[in-house]
Amino acid sequence: MAEYAFLLDLGRCIGCQACVASCKVGNELGEGQQYIELIEKTHGEFPNLSGGWDNHRCFHCADAACVTVCPTGALFKEDGLTRLDRSVCSGCAYCTEACPYEVPVMWEGKSSKCDGCAATVSAGGNPWCVKTCPSNALAYGPREEIQAEAHRRADAMRDRYPNAEVYGETQLDGLGMLVVMPDDPELLDIPIDPKTPFMADVWQKVVQPGAVVLTLGAAVLAGVGGVIARRRHEEELVVLEVERVIDEADEADVAKEEEG
Amino acid sequence: MGTREPLREREILRYRKRPRIVHAMLASSFLILLFTGLVILWPALSGLAAGGFTRWLHRVAAVIFMAVPFVYWFADREGAKELMIDSFKYDRDDWRWLKRFWSYAFGHTANMPRQGRLNAGQKMHHALVMLLSASIVFSGLIMWFFMPSLGPTLQAWVVVIHDLSMLALTLLLVGHLYFTFVYRALSGMTRGYIDADDARLEHAKWVEELEAEAAAEAAEETTEKV
Repeated sequence: MAEYAFLLDLGRCIGCQACVASCKVGNELGEGQQYIELIEKTHGEFPNLSGGWDNHRCFHCADAACVTVCPTGALFKEDGLTRLDRSVCSGCAYCTEACPYEVPVMWEGKSSKCDGCAATVSAGGNPWCVKTCPSNALAYGPREEIQAEAHRRADAMRDRYPNAEVYGETQLDGLGMLVVMPDDPELLDIPIDPKTPFMADVWQKVVQPGAVVLTLGAAVLAGVGGVIARRRHEEELVVLEVERVIDEADEADVAKEEEG
Repeated sequence: MGTREPLREREILRYRKRPRIVHAMLASSFLILLFTGLVILWPALSGLAAGGFTRWLHRVAAVIFMAVPFVYWFADREGAKELMIDSFKYDRDDWRWLKRFWSYAFGHTANMPRQGRLNAGQKMHHALVMLLSASIVFSGLIMWFFMPSLGPTLQAWVVVIHDLSMLALTLLLVGHLYFTFVYRALSGMTRGYIDADDARLEHAKWVEELEAEAAAEAAEETTEKV
C-alpha cells in the first residue's frame, strides 16, 4: 500500500487563509466546523521578532494517539493518513483528549478533523488545501517524493534560515505531514517530541483484550465447573435426605418401643 | 421486623419482596451498563455505539445504579441495615469457612464450618461489590462531568480505573451466577423462597435461628390458647 503525505512549507505560508476557506467549502463543512486554523505566533520584542503561521491541522501521525484511543474504529489509518468516518463515531471524545497536537474537536456530538480529503483524493484529485494554496506552501503525493521535496526546500532556505529543518520524520513514528520549519518548531508552539499518553496504550492494548479474554475464560470455566459442582451438591442433598429418613425411622422405632 | 411468613414444609423465605425488587434494579441496571459499556470496549460491537444512543442508555442505567442504595434505604431500612451489619461481621466459623472456600466452590458443603444467614463468601462478595461500585461510580462521574479538563494522561487513568473496576465486577458476577446455579439459589431472588435442605446445608446457623423463632412463636401461641 502506498504511503502518502502532505508537504507543508512554513517558509512559504503567507497566512492568506485560502486553504482554510477551500477546505471548508470543498468538504462542505458545517457551521462552526473547520479542519484548518491559521494562528499567527510571534515571539520576542520589536525589532527582534520571530514566529510565523502555525498551521493548526491534523499532522496524520503514524502512531496516532486518536486512533489508539478510538473505541469504535471511526478513526483509522489508511495510506499513511488518519481518516475519520463520522458515521461510526460514538462521540466519546477520547480523541480530543489524546491528540498531542489537540487537533480533533467535537462538532455536533461527534469527532471532527481533517481526513486528508479521502473522497477527493480517491476520485483522483488533490486535497482542497493543496489545490488552492497560492504560494505553493502545500503539496500532496507519495511520501518518499514529498520527503525528498521537503529536504530540498529546507536545504535551499538554510542560507537565510540556518535552523531550517524538516519536521515530521521522526515524531510519532513519522507524520503524514512533513513540515518545512524555517526555525525552531517551539516558536510556533509545536512540540518537538510529542508523546502518545502511555496509559492510552495500556488501555487499548492490554486492558481491552485482557478483559475480554479473562471474562470469557471465567464464563466458560464457571459453566463447566458449575455443572460438576452442582452434581456434587445434589449428591450431598441426597445424603441429607437419606439421613432424615433414617432418623425418622429411628424415632418411630423408639416411639414404638416406648408404647410397647 | 415485620411479621415473618410461616415456614413452609420444604421451603424457607430467603428474601422478601422489597429486597428482591432492589436486587432486580441493581441487576438490570448493571447488565445494561455492562452491555452499553462493552460496545465501547469491544471493537466488534463498536458500530452499536455510533450516534451516542448507547451512551445515553449508559447514563440512564448509571443513574438507576447509583440510586440503588438510596432506594434500598427507603424501601427496606431494616433490611438494608441488617445486610450492612451482617456483611461486615465475621465470626470464627467464617474465617475457617474462607480457608476451605475451594471445597465449597466445588460443591461440597456438608463438612464446611456452619454459616449464618450470609456465608463468608457472600460477605466478601458484598464488600467487594460495594468497594468496586464506589470506584466505578466515582470514575464514571469524573468521566461524565470533568473529562475535557483532565488532560490526556489523567483521562487515560480514569478510563483504565473505570474499566478495571467493571472487569472485576463482571468476574464477581460470573462467580455470583456460578454459586446461584450450583446451590440452586435462583428461586430466592425470583419467588423469594429456597429449598429448606439447601438452606440447612449452607446456612445451618440461620435455619436453626429460624426454627428457634418459629418454636418460640408456637410456644407463645399455645400458652395464649391455654
